[in-house]
Amino acid sequence: MTEPLVRVRDLEVRFVTRDATVHAVNGVSFDLAERESLCILGESGSGKSVTLRALMGLNPPRRTKLSGAVRVGGHNIIAASERRMADIRGSTVSMIFQEPMTALDPVFTIGRQIAETVMRHEGLSRAAADARALELLELVQIPSAKRRLAAYPHELSGGLRQRAMIAIALSCRPKLLLADEPTTALDATVQIQILLLLRRLQQEMGMGVIFVTHDLGVAGEIADRVAVMYAGKFIEEGPVRGLMRGPLHPYAQGLLGATVHSGMRGERLTTIPGAPPNLERVPKGCAFAPRCAFVEEACLPEVPAFRGPVPGHAARCVRVPQAA
Amino acid sequence: MQTETSLAPLPDVGGPAQPLLTVRGLTKHFPLKTGFLGRGAGVVRAVDDLNFEVLKGETLGIVGESGCGKSTTSRLIMALMAPTSGEVVFDGRTVGSREMPLKEYRRQVQMVFQDSYASLNPRLTIEESIAFAPQVHGLSRGDSRARARDLLAAVGLNPDQFARRYPHELSGGQRQRINIARALALRPRLVLLDEPVSALDKSVEAQVLNLLQDLKGQFGLTYVFISHDLNVVQYMSDRVLVMYLGRVAEVGPVEAIYAGAAHPYTAALLASRPSMDPDLRRTEPPLVGDPPNPINPPAGCRFHTRCNFAEPVCSTVVPPLHAAPGGQQAACLMVVPGSGHSRAPRIAA
Repeated sequence: MTEPLVRVRDLEVRFVTRDATVHAVNGVSFDLAERESLCILGESGSGKSVTLRALMGLNPPRRTKLSGAVRVGGHNIIAASERRMADIRGSTVSMIFQEPMTALDPVFTIGRQIAETVMRHEGLSRAAADARALELLELVQIPSAKRRLAAYPHELSGGLRQRAMIAIALSCRPKLLLADEPTTALDATVQIQILLLLRRLQQEMGMGVIFVTHDLGVAGEIADRVAVMYAGKFIEEGPVRGLMRGPLHPYAQGLLGATVHSGMRGERLTTIPGAPPNLERVPKGCAFAPRCAFVEEACLPEVPAFRGPVPGHAARCVRVPQAA
Repeated sequence: MQTETSLAPLPDVGGPAQPLLTVRGLTKHFPLKTGFLGRGAGVVRAVDDLNFEVLKGETLGIVGESGCGKSTTSRLIMALMAPTSGEVVFDGRTVGSREMPLKEYRRQVQMVFQDSYASLNPRLTIEESIAFAPQVHGLSRGDSRARARDLLAAVGLNPDQFARRYPHELSGGQRQRINIARALALRPRLVLLDEPVSALDKSVEAQVLNLLQDLKGQFGLTYVFISHDLNVVQYMSDRVLVMYLGRVAEVGPVEAIYAGAAHPYTAALLASRPSMDPDLRRTEPPLVGDPPNPINPPAGCRFHTRCNFAEPVCSTVVPPLHAAPGGQQAACLMVVPGSGHSRAPRIAA
């Protein structure tokens, strides 16, 4: 197969209401190979979750205007009917969310929710589906899995709930797993357990993973590649090492500098002045220009194209040197 | 008295050696409603026999995971709820006693909460919110408003632009600045910061942390900084208090604790931080499982159920806080000489 697992080209997402149109995603293009893990890093309102939802057709249909091309595992997501999407979801692409308590159904047991998914997609019998549910709970390392099958979501701790949600997401062996801040609501000692579990499952099951986070540390633990998002656009993309050690775009540099890490005591934190733009209008030129310390004439007339000093690492900034 | 009407900064009573805040045997148990068929009524031991001091001019960081009692502790310190037992002493005077009545105490101690929106009255303008407390404490309307505008400038917001706005018109970072300004309106000496930056984006978080450091110097404040983010606590604090299931696990100077934790829980917490270096990724989680339920906490050392060094003695003996080699104190039998734990230091002959 020549086509990558995910191919997104010029994705635009607008939310239209009576009062305003919000340009949430303004031209995002990327590929994801099989077994690759991409981390989309950005602050609230940058469009990272909307991008993720577009890959699974989860944005509210009546208010969302989509354009561009989104292909996942050979399926055209933008053109797919709702019935077709229901088949694609689960078996090809699956998603885990930040808040497992709202993502799980409170009136069914964990075992029932997993079995239901397997029966719907793979046509297994109830007994076979129950057996698969047990297997899955063991796969995500839930202790006393057999007893937990009969538990309702509220009976589980936050970490176990998140594991149960991962089990549901993986129940039909998807090729692509989308994760929307899956560890943000968890305690530190639990967060690292879930990150390591996801990393191991990704390798064992050979999935592609797209991880949305605002936490640089999370990206460092799990990503092969990182894309930094700002005002609905990827402004920098590169391998995790290169990006964390030498970010190119002034916004990415600011974000790294503003993240408190070990051994910064007594230093003043670098901050980014101002706030992200209002996305009711598409920003002209570089969206970061109003907050940028290095802004110049060339930033304003149009959005800077990707430029990169080394193959695979590039940023939308006119100051970045372009390799010959 | 003149100081009553002008709300001048409050005087230091006990001198620099007197801790600003002393917490003694502070305990809060929440009784549960009677269980099914009258069985299983229990108590949540949210905070159990907590003892610590906050020195004048320092920042004490409190860290711990959800359910460890850090928010209950902050509410007990603020006298927002009555403790089951124990007392809070402010600058040598017991809170709630005749020497330190609550109204006087609340002038001296103020709090900033995590949820910047929920903690502002949506029907008051920014200026009214900040001027509210000074007016309650007897400052004239005009003077309170003038103070509100000064404080807006101090937290980096232009008073002409922001004074008449409502909370919903501001971003999260701006609202948190308003909450900080409001907390400072009574010229308190101690400010409790309960997860003040947890809901903010990273770039805004840095702005607010810088602001808090500036204000501390400018107004001569003492902070209690509560957070689950170990890196932020390290950045902000002089001393750190680590809590686990309602008890102190370890307390001491930030350098000592981050350089070499004496309590296995602190060590695990520190090792759970993402590495920030893709070449040094974590391979094994330092702890398995979630923190246990504080309704029926484990007997003995509350951490023994998740501890890699637990021995039978740990499930029967409650470890006292004891001096550890790095200069901090830890509640672990491994630092208590003669405790019966095989790794405990021998008692010198």
